[in-house]
Amino acid sequence: MSVSSLREYLDLLDTTGWLRSFDQPVSWDLEASAATMLANIRDGPIPVFESIAGLETESKLVGDPYRGPQTRPWDHFARALGLSGGLSGRTYYDRVIDRLNAPQAPRTVASQEAPCKETVRTGNEVDLLSFPWPYIHEGDGGRYSNLHTIVAPDPDTEWGTWSSHRMMIHDSSQASLLLLAGEQVPNRYYYDYEPRGEPMPVAVVIGAEPTVECTADMWIPTGRSEAAFAGGLKSEPVDLVQCETNDLYVPATAELVLEGHVRPDDRLDEGPFGDYFGYMNGPRRSMPVFEVDAITHRHEPRIPFCVEGSGVGYGQNSTSTLRLVAAGPDATVGLRAAGFDVAMAVPWRFTSRTVWVIATDRPYPGYLHELANFIFTTWGMLHIDFFVFVDAAVDPLDPRAVLTAIALEADPDADFHQFGVERMPKVPLNIYQTPDEKGNADVGTSKAKTAKAYIDATTDGDAAEMAATTETRKRAQERLVEAGLNAARFDRLDEREGQSQ
Amino acid sequence: MIPFTQYVRGLAGDDDLVRLDGPFEVPVDVLAAEALRASGPALRFQRAAGSDLVSGVFSGPDQTHQREARPWSRLSLGLGLDPEAMLVDLLETISTLGPAGGNLNPTYTGQAASGTDIDAQDLRFPQGETDTWPAVTLGVASVSTADGTHWAPVHGSVVGGDTLRVRVPDTLSSLVGEGTTMTIALGVPPAAITTAYLLAVTEQTATPIQSCGVTGTVPLVPTNGGLVPSATEVVMETTVVDCKPDFRSDRREGWEYVIESGPLSLSVERVRTTENPVIPVSPVGRPLADDTRLTGLVTAAALYHRLNNYWGISPVEWIMLPAEAELGICFVASDVLYGGFEWQLANILFSFSSLFDTVVIVDEDVPPQDFGRVLADIWLKSHPARDWTFSEPDAPAATRPHYRRDNETGSRLYVNAAWDPRWKETYIAPRVTFENSFPNDVRDVARVLWDEPDTAPGETTENESPH
Repeated sequence: MSVSSLREYLDLLDTTGWLRSFDQPVSWDLEASAATMLANIRDGPIPVFESIAGLETESKLVGDPYRGPQTRPWDHFARALGLSGGLSGRTYYDRVIDRLNAPQAPRTVASQEAPCKETVRTGNEVDLLSFPWPYIHEGDGGRYSNLHTIVAPDPDTEWGTWSSHRMMIHDSSQASLLLLAGEQVPNRYYYDYEPRGEPMPVAVVIGAEPTVECTADMWIPTGRSEAAFAGGLKSEPVDLVQCETNDLYVPATAELVLEGHVRPDDRLDEGPFGDYFGYMNGPRRSMPVFEVDAITHRHEPRIPFCVEGSGVGYGQNSTSTLRLVAAGPDATVGLRAAGFDVAMAVPWRFTSRTVWVIATDRPYPGYLHELANFIFTTWGMLHIDFFVFVDAAVDPLDPRAVLTAIALEADPDADFHQFGVERMPKVPLNIYQTPDEKGNADVGTSKAKTAKAYIDATTDGDAAEMAATTETRKRAQERLVEAGLNAARFDRLDEREGQSQ
Repeated sequence: MIPFTQYVRGLAGDDDLVRLDGPFEVPVDVLAAEALRASGPALRFQRAAGSDLVSGVFSGPDQTHQREARPWSRLSLGLGLDPEAMLVDLLETISTLGPAGGNLNPTYTGQAASGTDIDAQDLRFPQGETDTWPAVTLGVASVSTADGTHWAPVHGSVVGGDTLRVRVPDTLSSLVGEGTTMTIALGVPPAAITTAYLLAVTEQTATPIQSCGVTGTVPLVPTNGGLVPSATEVVMETTVVDCKPDFRSDRREGWEYVIESGPLSLSVERVRTTENPVIPVSPVGRPLADDTRLTGLVTAAALYHRLNNYWGISPVEWIMLPAEAELGICFVASDVLYGGFEWQLANILFSFSSLFDTVVIVDEDVPPQDFGRVLADIWLKSHPARDWTFSEPDAPAATRPHYRRDNETGSRLYVNAAWDPRWKETYIAPRVTFENSFPNDVRDVARVLWDEPDTAPGETTENESPH
């Protein structure tokens, strides 16, 4: 059974020893974030801050709940989906891909059946500042909600489109949304609603169930519903409920829902923010305004947040884990659906939104160029600069194997391919462009263009590495574990096929 | 000087060595390789018959998997440094073992290996899953000429009780002929094998060890071949019977990617061992193998020494040829002195080493044990168009990669993942770290929440190992 709410997921973490509740008051002003960053660095339990210092609130903050263990970042998600813990990365991907290939339409429930409607506030009762939005890094432009699912209209699907865009709180009813053109929801706003002078209805869903959070991080083609893929991941329909003040449907078990609209031709400051690149990113920009019309929530809502920037290098956080556990399998499904012979598509663990590793066969000359071109012009356009292609037999989840492939197989003369030098769009969150190059473009992408590149680190048919047989390796690992070595570090001891569903 | 057995005991004392008791149904090299892949400790294979074996003693944890990993810490211990020593301390120490100019005065002491009633097969060298013969790895070959004693790395196979087939650097082969006596020393002090590797990769095998710094730290003893460390676990005195034997080996120790090597056939005249000999083994050809790691470290030491003695100043913070990249990429952290310095830096590295044709330059403040940051900065700080610089396609292929083995020329690449020195300070994005992102009092609160003891002011915690 998959879990059906953030609370069930947190309970699951608790039973496995991966949750730590703090009863003492902790401030939303950097303290919760600092404690979370320490946990992220040290691969510690997920912190739940039960009491918020200096604020009369029943809300609780949860720091980076989706961060996975450093040895197996997918482990918590595997359990949340009803799979066994301890699966190898490849097996986890296989299981998730199977589920993504079997989407299930959502089910609607009445308001009285939806936990997220336990409290409903509209009109003068709306007060964003009654919630403990965290101030995440010293130097941020403001307090943020940055681990949520945005629900926006989509004329091609019944259930709207889901995505993820950070939100900076401004006052009791306004926030600025980071909408960067090139992505589906921002495009809908900038090129559809705003030109018509029409406000775009939006719901910000905070503390949705894990499969919802996963699909918000995926690149689902237009005309397909994230809600159905969330159901596929769960192996049962996701419950949705209609908003109070607009026609959008939101996940019913969410902790907190902000209903509102994005005002046309209006902007508020957004940023700077310590972003996923691991660097404080400026300059402060003008971004569209989200005005809140209603707030609904569960009793004692759990408000998850992500210490962004701590998921680079060795670090893991919610967003880096979501890339690996959700976006990776989704991309694999998408590339296969597009006709590419891809074994696995995996974000590079040290900077998960900038580089992807794709293990693939090369069935015909020019195949890698076609594959790179397809991705760069679709879902990989704004954030991803590099693709590394490795043999299908290379484990793209093993950075050592990938690094070795780059070092030994990628010929600087023939295997590094730049796509259109300085002709491609880029999110202004990057750190290699100067502030002048980033500018303050109306729709949020950098003023200056960039390049994209792919690296062909596939072999020419020769095995790259001496290896013992799988059976011998497994016996060796068993012997070493018997001698006291950490079992979690071995890759062939965790194929508990009989236990996984 | 630390004898090999003392070194092994030290690793055990640091909880960095695990003992496995025989018999071993799984080949030792597979066990060794799996422990390395898992960033495990060194292994000691306790055997009822034959010598004990140890693996992983010259390697260390996988830096792509483990925060704060210092795969050089074991060798640091072996060279008399603190296991927590910085990489540059080790690189500088390695450099002191090499040619020092002039003749030094060796210290001679008695030979620890005195047992003689065995042959090479009695030692029960490990045999890999696909090997025809038991394998000898991590050895030091010693030959004597009129100039003195010459050391070089050696590995090979035991094809009979009195026959070895080995591979040595051509620079050593050129000093011997059929009938020349050669001693193979196994289980030598870490300083000795490091010296043999250093002399090999810098093509200075012809320099006698009497002119090398190692002589001042490692007591020696004469043998029929040449001087060897007196604290050697196994001493095999041999005679060269064939300088061009007709056999091929698929295995290459790491140093063989740096310099030309070739086979020799040896007749084993006498084997001496200590009472309970311990022999190091490396899973040659497998990821993170000891010989690869050792080659990377001594090559980095040689390059570090050359670069920081080139410009009149020392801009280079560290150099790494990680075993994680099989020595095929050179990573260098440096102060980028001026615009264009990165080009000079990369191309001088290409001049001094033919192992790689990709160089990655990172900022000087990136610690080498934070390799995860290096593996992020490559893609984050470098502009995909401007900071990936390819040479004209006229360069010879590097020796380590698999491509262009047909003598075709091609391009070299350097990636500049360091801040541009011409940028205004305001262009430099501050990093998100525990220290940068929170004031002191908030950091204290966070530590107390996790039941942390007080941390001394200024002490960094952001890169602490995960528990």
